[in-house]
Amino acid sequence: MKLQVTQENLNKALNNVARIAMVNKNALPILNNVLIRTVDNRLSLSATNLEIAITEKIGSKVQTEGAITVPARLMQEYVSSLPSGILELELDEHKLHISTEQYKSTINGVFADEFPLVPEITKGLQLKIPLKDLKKSLQQVVFAASSDETRPVLTGVLLNTQDGSLFVAATDSYRLAEKKLLKTAQDISLLIPASALQELLRVLPENTESVEMHADNQQVLFKVGDIELVTRLIDATYPDYKKLIPTKFSTTATLARDEFTTITKVASLFARESAGSITIKVDEGAKNVSITSIASQLGENTSSADADVSGTGEVTLNSRYLLDALSALGTKEVSFSFNGKLEPCVLTSKEAPGQTYLVMPLKS
Amino acid sequence: MEEDAVWQSVLGEIELTVSRGNFVTWFKNTQVLRRDNSSMIIGVPNIFYKQQLESKFKPMIMELLAKNGLGEISLEFKTHTSTMPTKRPTNDDTEVVILSESPKKTNREMFSGNGAPSLTHSYRQGLNDRYTFDSFIVGSGNEMAYAACQAIAQNPGTKYNPLFIYGGVGLGKTHLIQAVGNAVLANKKGSKVVYATSEQFVQEFLDAIRYKKITDFAGHYRNADVLIVDDMQFIAGKEKTQEEFFHTFNALHQANKQIIISSDKPPKSIPTLEERLRSRFEWGMIVDIGAPDFETRCAILQNKATQHNIVLDQPVVEFLANQVQTNIRELEGALNQLLAFCEMRNLTPDLSVVTGLFGTHRSRPRHMNAKQVVERTAKHFQISIEEILSPKRDKDIVFPRQIAMYLLRSELHLSFPKIAQELGRKDHTTAIHSVEKIEKELHFDNILKEHVKEIKEKLYA
Repeated sequence: MKLQVTQENLNKALNNVARIAMVNKNALPILNNVLIRTVDNRLSLSATNLEIAITEKIGSKVQTEGAITVPARLMQEYVSSLPSGILELELDEHKLHISTEQYKSTINGVFADEFPLVPEITKGLQLKIPLKDLKKSLQQVVFAASSDETRPVLTGVLLNTQDGSLFVAATDSYRLAEKKLLKTAQDISLLIPASALQELLRVLPENTESVEMHADNQQVLFKVGDIELVTRLIDATYPDYKKLIPTKFSTTATLARDEFTTITKVASLFARESAGSITIKVDEGAKNVSITSIASQLGENTSSADADVSGTGEVTLNSRYLLDALSALGTKEVSFSFNGKLEPCVLTSKEAPGQTYLVMPLKS
Repeated sequence: MEEDAVWQSVLGEIELTVSRGNFVTWFKNTQVLRRDNSSMIIGVPNIFYKQQLESKFKPMIMELLAKNGLGEISLEFKTHTSTMPTKRPTNDDTEVVILSESPKKTNREMFSGNGAPSLTHSYRQGLNDRYTFDSFIVGSGNEMAYAACQAIAQNPGTKYNPLFIYGGVGLGKTHLIQAVGNAVLANKKGSKVVYATSEQFVQEFLDAIRYKKITDFAGHYRNADVLIVDDMQFIAGKEKTQEEFFHTFNALHQANKQIIISSDKPPKSIPTLEERLRSRFEWGMIVDIGAPDFETRCAILQNKATQHNIVLDQPVVEFLANQVQTNIRELEGALNQLLAFCEMRNLTPDLSVVTGLFGTHRSRPRHMNAKQVVERTAKHFQISIEEILSPKRDKDIVFPRQIAMYLLRSELHLSFPKIAQELGRKDHTTAIHSVEKIEKELHFDNILKEHVKEIKEKLYA
């Protein structure tokens, strides 16, 4: 293998790819390596942790074909330290020489045929999603997935079609986020590990129009520009969360999201010792929303904001979940609705029709 | 499916052929899903594994299968959830359940999956597998508690919830409640059994407040299937912890999870225990563990000796059982002391060794006084206290009086003038004479021996 590549391109690709090899907990040492090989006069870099695999192809001037794997961390740190310009890569047996005018180094690699194969998807569903929409939807939903590995089903994000629309949903059983992504005639139901989607969000480039999604019943591939990300699917039945979202409410308050966020943040300062517990009072007469929190040692707080109110009521929530939902909603106005103290609270906005957040109350 | 012998032997050979990393990564989590005469299906964790095994290792596997006499077989790989590398089965049938009510400061959960797999190891913290029902010796003092615990171990959460066991120190409370935990774990793998002393509970609670991990703390306790709290009396006076425990209690009780509590006193007698906790402890079943009777003590000693692979003579056992009458821990201590002593000097533990070792050591419970000794003795012989203290010299009164004097000397180590005084005598020589007489007669009079033993037992019971 002998080729030339720019430091900028190689560095960018290594940044995208090498990370999953660096945080790999597998027993197989080669999984800490990144696979570098020439494909059709281009350079391809891949890494995998046996749940996710990322491959990125970059332009290069290939003189002779070849493939090798090298330790991901060393490679990434070395290349990122080099000055921009042209790098020369040459393979001699298992030794990869990387050199510029001033820097010359040799990295001992492991032969490429020991590197696990990245699964390929031959048949199954295909869908094109506008990159902006996908990115935004994932950002607005993925945070709600659980990180508790003991309930694997909740560590996934559900992509599911219902009534001709594709929804993205995640829940950790205390709160839930749902967003309508797009209209499609296809019947889709994929449970994708949230960690893989976070990785996808990290590598999604700015300058591409759309993401191609290919999936069968075991894996899903996201193809965006020169990057391909493959992940396994979680093989489990997702709870029927739609049932949980109430449609009628006894109390609804509509107010500016900024103000709601501010008074929640203020209240959360006094809720640190009580696991974020804040009590929200919606008053139809006073036409406002007031939040109270009490820190038994430190003191207490009540702040309020004007709102359009129908129905009076009170509910106690974890402020963190409320803040997460408010920030993900990202609209000017927000409607906060609930039915009494024990039923789920729902956050929506007229400006964002496809978005729903649900937070389970704390019982006080 | 059970371990497949052929596949195991194939794995054995592969392990020797490929590198350890390769073997652990690719083959450790495989299993045979199905095998018949013409085909074999191997379960693998996910698509990445499937791809790798199919393309890289299949020829090698086929060759090894042929070597094991399965030459004409077709081999297939299939992703299979139970082969997940994390070894945690996925929740296939999570149902949506809204919990009826959830306690303060806990988030209400939307789903409570019944198959929620657990980290059994972390949920059996504090449980000592030495404590099982098999190693527990049942006697009259503890059979009630034993039966209740047995019933709970069979069906946790349905009967006697909460179970409150109380009794003095060293009577086997901890053994019993830990045995329940161990039995539940043995009956149903993956059950979440949380065992903690109330002190641990307090400490963890304080840490949780300090490091702002209340949710984790509450989650740990409230997700338990069986919660066992030992030495509950130490929670007395700690108001905030009591409140937290109260909520934990409610959460578990509502979800029909078993709660077992032990204490050295009944709930009513624990000072500064909040009323709402007290009433809840009294809700289920309260049993006490009494001191073991003589036979039980002997059985315990025999059992412990067997565990040490040592056979004790009956007289030795009886001697020890008499030495320590109220506390099993002390009983075990005495036995260990004896065994260590014999081991060091290479002696067989016979009666002479035992009397030599323990002869001087007398256990004297704090709460026993001279009056009780006299009363007990009188009661044993069915005479009144007035009679035993009277100057009467009838034979059936003198005899008990002498025994009482002997007991005051041997058990309470009172001085002779004091003994005489206790029994309304003026002259201490009477006491000396009586004690000496009984001591002498004890050597050959079995009926007297029986009497003395019985009174002693009642005194220490």
